[in-house]
Amino acid sequence: MRAFDYLRAQTEGEALAAAGQDGAAFIAGGTDLMPLWKAGVAAPGLLIDIGRLPLAEVTARDGGLVFGATARLADIADHPEVRRRHPAIAQAIEASASGQVRNMATLGGALLQRTRCVYFRSGITPCEKLEPGSGCAAVAGENRLHAIFGGGPSCVATHASDLAVALVALDAQVRLRSLAGERVLPLTALYLPAGESPARETVLVPGEMIVAVEVPDAGGRSLYLKIRDRASFEFAVVSVAVALEVADGRVQSVRLAAGGVGTMPWRLRASEAALTGAEAGEAVFRAAAGLAADGAQPLAHNGFKIELLKRTVLRALVQAGDQT
Amino acid sequence: MNDSRSAPRLEARLKVTGQARYSAETQIPGLLHAALVTAPIARGRVTDIDASRAERLPGFVAIMTHENAAPLARAAAVLHLQGPEVRFAGEPVAVVIARSPIAARRAAAAVDVVYEAEPAATDFDLFLGEAYAPRTAGRTPTDSLRGDPEDALARARVSLDLRYETAANNHHPMEPQSVIADWGPDLLTVYTTTQAVFAHRAAIAGAFGLEVEKVRVVCEYLGGGFGAKGGAWYPGMILGIQLARHVGAPVRLELTRAQMFTLVGRRQETRQHLRLGADGDGRLTAIALDTVAPTSTYAEYADAVATTARMMYACPNVATTHRLVRLNAPQPNPMRAPGEGPGSFALESAMDELAHELQLDPLELRLRNFAVRDQNADLSWSSNGLRECYQVGAEAFGWAGRPLAPGALRDGRRTLGWGMAAVCYPVYSMASAASVALESDGGIVVRCGTQDMGTGTITVLGQLAAAILDVPLARVRVEIGDTLLPEGPYSGGSIATASFTPAVEAAARDLRTRLITLASTDPASSLLGEAQPDLVLEDGHVRSLTGNRSESLAALAGRAAPGGLEAFAQTTPDPDRPVSAFGFGAVFAEVAVDPELGEVRLKRLTAAYAAGRILNPLLARSQYVGGLIGGIGMALHEATVDDKASGRVLGDNLADYLIPVQADMPAFDVHMIHEDDPHLPGGIKGIGMLGTVGTAGAIANAVFHATGVRIRRLPIRIEDCIVQA
Amino acid sequence: MTDPSREPRALTLRVNGVDHSLAAEPCATLLDVLRDGLGLTGTKKGCDMGACGACTVLVDDRRINACLTLAAMQEGREIVTIEGLADGEDLHPMQQAFIAHDALQCGYCTPGQILSAVGLLAEGRAVDLAQVAEQMSGNLCRCGAHPNILAAIAEVAGLRA
Repeated sequence: MRAFDYLRAQTEGEALAAAGQDGAAFIAGGTDLMPLWKAGVAAPGLLIDIGRLPLAEVTARDGGLVFGATARLADIADHPEVRRRHPAIAQAIEASASGQVRNMATLGGALLQRTRCVYFRSGITPCEKLEPGSGCAAVAGENRLHAIFGGGPSCVATHASDLAVALVALDAQVRLRSLAGERVLPLTALYLPAGESPARETVLVPGEMIVAVEVPDAGGRSLYLKIRDRASFEFAVVSVAVALEVADGRVQSVRLAAGGVGTMPWRLRASEAALTGAEAGEAVFRAAAGLAADGAQPLAHNGFKIELLKRTVLRALVQAGDQT
Repeated sequence: MNDSRSAPRLEARLKVTGQARYSAETQIPGLLHAALVTAPIARGRVTDIDASRAERLPGFVAIMTHENAAPLARAAAVLHLQGPEVRFAGEPVAVVIARSPIAARRAAAAVDVVYEAEPAATDFDLFLGEAYAPRTAGRTPTDSLRGDPEDALARARVSLDLRYETAANNHHPMEPQSVIADWGPDLLTVYTTTQAVFAHRAAIAGAFGLEVEKVRVVCEYLGGGFGAKGGAWYPGMILGIQLARHVGAPVRLELTRAQMFTLVGRRQETRQHLRLGADGDGRLTAIALDTVAPTSTYAEYADAVATTARMMYACPNVATTHRLVRLNAPQPNPMRAPGEGPGSFALESAMDELAHELQLDPLELRLRNFAVRDQNADLSWSSNGLRECYQVGAEAFGWAGRPLAPGALRDGRRTLGWGMAAVCYPVYSMASAASVALESDGGIVVRCGTQDMGTGTITVLGQLAAAILDVPLARVRVEIGDTLLPEGPYSGGSIATASFTPAVEAAARDLRTRLITLASTDPASSLLGEAQPDLVLEDGHVRSLTGNRSESLAALAGRAAPGGLEAFAQTTPDPDRPVSAFGFGAVFAEVAVDPELGEVRLKRLTAAYAAGRILNPLLARSQYVGGLIGGIGMALHEATVDDKASGRVLGDNLADYLIPVQADMPAFDVHMIHEDDPHLPGGIKGIGMLGTVGTAGAIANAVFHATGVRIRRLPIRIEDCIVQA
Repeated sequence: MTDPSREPRALTLRVNGVDHSLAAEPCATLLDVLRDGLGLTGTKKGCDMGACGACTVLVDDRRINACLTLAAMQEGREIVTIEGLADGEDLHPMQQAFIAHDALQCGYCTPGQILSAVGLLAEGRAVDLAQVAEQMSGNLCRCGAHPNILAAIAEVAGLRA
């Protein structure tokens, strides 16, 4: 509960200039930052409100969609071109959080939301994200909801965003800007593996801001399937986004990503490889789904996610196949 | 709901417009604000507290720690800040007082505390071997024995040996606990979230060495409680009052949601070992239930988990035990259907297992084991509508169409399952006083120092008086939630209505008599000289049965009782009731399970209850549904998890601690069976707990019927139900 | 590390059609300012972490959680709290429906439930009952008024209950 200063940025330049200060952070929706601040987990010295910068547009162009970083999740999900071109995006948003939060939360914030690891959220150490070098309590603790991919002794916290999973599956690109200039990365490259320094979760450097996400058009159908204990308002136990294009009974292209299983949104490359060019059908889908958990490293309480992930991939493929 | 008794809540307009003020919203000039500093270790001691950083922050007023807290007169409850010891993670070690809530929280975060940690008992499983017998289990004896269950088990045609587990739960009323203490020169006024203004007044008076008359406790609106605003709130409340004395100004202490996981009680986790013996027809020959639960190192509480095993079914040989394990963990306490909630999950699951073993319909098995009397108490029932509940519930649900085999009902990719459970909860009541008064404008006011936790107490208090005085409910005002009123009952354990009803009815009858007397003796009355047996109250008038003459209560009051007229009554339950009194019910559940993906979704809950006289069917139905939803949470969502290493609660927020949301709701169908119970004062049994008893068992049984997988641990989760490849 | 002092700052919030000028610290949430600054205690503090919906208010006709936003971020917006929903003595139809369906028990979640319901209708999301149930899942209720809440909203939305 450290006090912070507040600056409502009038221009992007003002925001980027202020962001260079030590302890500065951007705020737009506030839906993730505010709880972290109240729990004492985040302690910014300056919040730069970028909520009124002209970065909230959802634009449908030939060839792709462009979302401004401060576009509200509800506005993205409601956009008719989003629903037509990439239903997985709308479905992922509609399966996220609550109606209120979807009205507040922004695209950039959703991509950068922190993990739901119960140790991290309650400030319980050891935790590499809270206290680098201290270790991880979850590895030998309560880890039902922790990662089976990408973790290690330093951290097994899952990435929490539904939307990021859908965007990773759709080969989204993320546009970053700072006073030093602009760069565009595949969304998968925004995230860093837990590795040696789990506290550093993205490649963003101080003073750098997400300004937009671009999603290329693709053939076929996409969908997002989320599995959870409560029927609504719960983070994913396991989720899968699939974009599937079938022509003449064969899989022309397929992209799969999973949530609730990895330290970052997790592309399922082995399954994709098994599907591409193969005959679309339940037998092939089942075989591909069987590869979805290859390389998984389960912990004491989350081993069920291996089977659950395979079945969720299969269900998502079958449903997407039925729609194409 | 065309029943004339189904009046809407009297206070509804205030609640839908935001005008109903809850305790923390009391406006007091010069109010200061408090924030707790809590221990991150489960056991040890505080060796140093350095507040120098906090003191420099804007708005800081004072800090209270065990070093400077004035000792309290008497340990009326487990109190905070009485020494340097830390007994559980989350225990307060200091409190900061500041000029705004945010300043207090910020300063609290800047207090530097040094701890000396000691090895803590935080893992229930590691200490099961150290279980001991508590003094009591809830209000019941720790152990029970009738017949010879071991022998009967050995001889039983069919026997089952089963182990069930239920998770710890937190109550989480939507309104956080709060206290505002205002020490006046002659009176300490405490605005607080309490399920019992009078009990809390006594606790305060005891702790501070005051006469009870020098303490006033006020709780006008109460945002839920479910047990967490009873005795579990004494320590926090007393701490808040102590702070106000410490700084000599009114102070508000409001718990954060995270603190509500550790400082205001929890439903105990249970491990239940249940053995059943039966003959070939399914008639029970033996029940043996041994249950173990954690308690804290500094206080003792055991839920009465075995209640239903002792009396629900006819069985000659029954043994039950309750044991506790001491942990460095928050103190447990009663929560919504305490004991009967977790206990009935095990018993009703086991009955379902027995039915499956014998290839009997689960309802038929229960009918065969109907208890015609309470064998545990060796008393006849005051009334028992259980068989009617079975019949009405089964018919409404369509139970007769249930296939015996699991997995036979399908809905696309999902399998459907039907399960049921029997329900009971004991009738409790306590002494209560109340007054009913005619005001000078002809209005009626009912006064009772009880609380309305959302159950409808305000409304039924008004209805009870309105019915006897035959005045429109709109002319009745109800005052509750204040120790300046006649002493009313605790709100919880389904006690309140059974307790205040006889008192309010007695006071209203007394007032009626006095109004009739007044009408027949007032010189200016048109009813002067009428024989009192010929006079009745009707629609706000005293009316003669022999002619057309009448006097309006308003006119009578204005003329003959300008200061109003008040009748007071005090009632006490008979301690030697020669019967056993329980409310009964039956609950039927339909679930849909995706056997590939493990998701369980509840589709229907049908329940029938026989629980004495129902005062307001509209509000009673709401309360039953609320109880059922509490059972849904127990069955499918709720688990308070303590980290075994640190003893800290994991996911201490409402995003990670799941309670059922609107999208989880099934279709509800609740039936209330009329029941006249001549043995109970006012005919009231109490209904608040019944909805939560049995519900988890019915849902678990439905999951078995859908999947063929028996789940003996709550809550039921995805990984339990991924059954079909 | 010292905690920097942040002085209260002048702020104007438009709540229920009235401009309120006040001083608030930069880190004051909209919820804290409504309750403690303006005395509008109809907006409830249930969890203060965005997980319960008791603090739901309308901002420019959309539902938000007042605990998740800074007061400073809401300058210049039209904020509606439960106190501003009725037209004088005439209750809003949603308030009337909540009373008629007994869609409240303890009443603490009720203002948030009502504003969430009004907001979801304004947002055009009352497509069918399942949608309404999903959209109302951000408003926790511990007493268990859910089916009555759904019935009240269905009536106002003209959906079959």
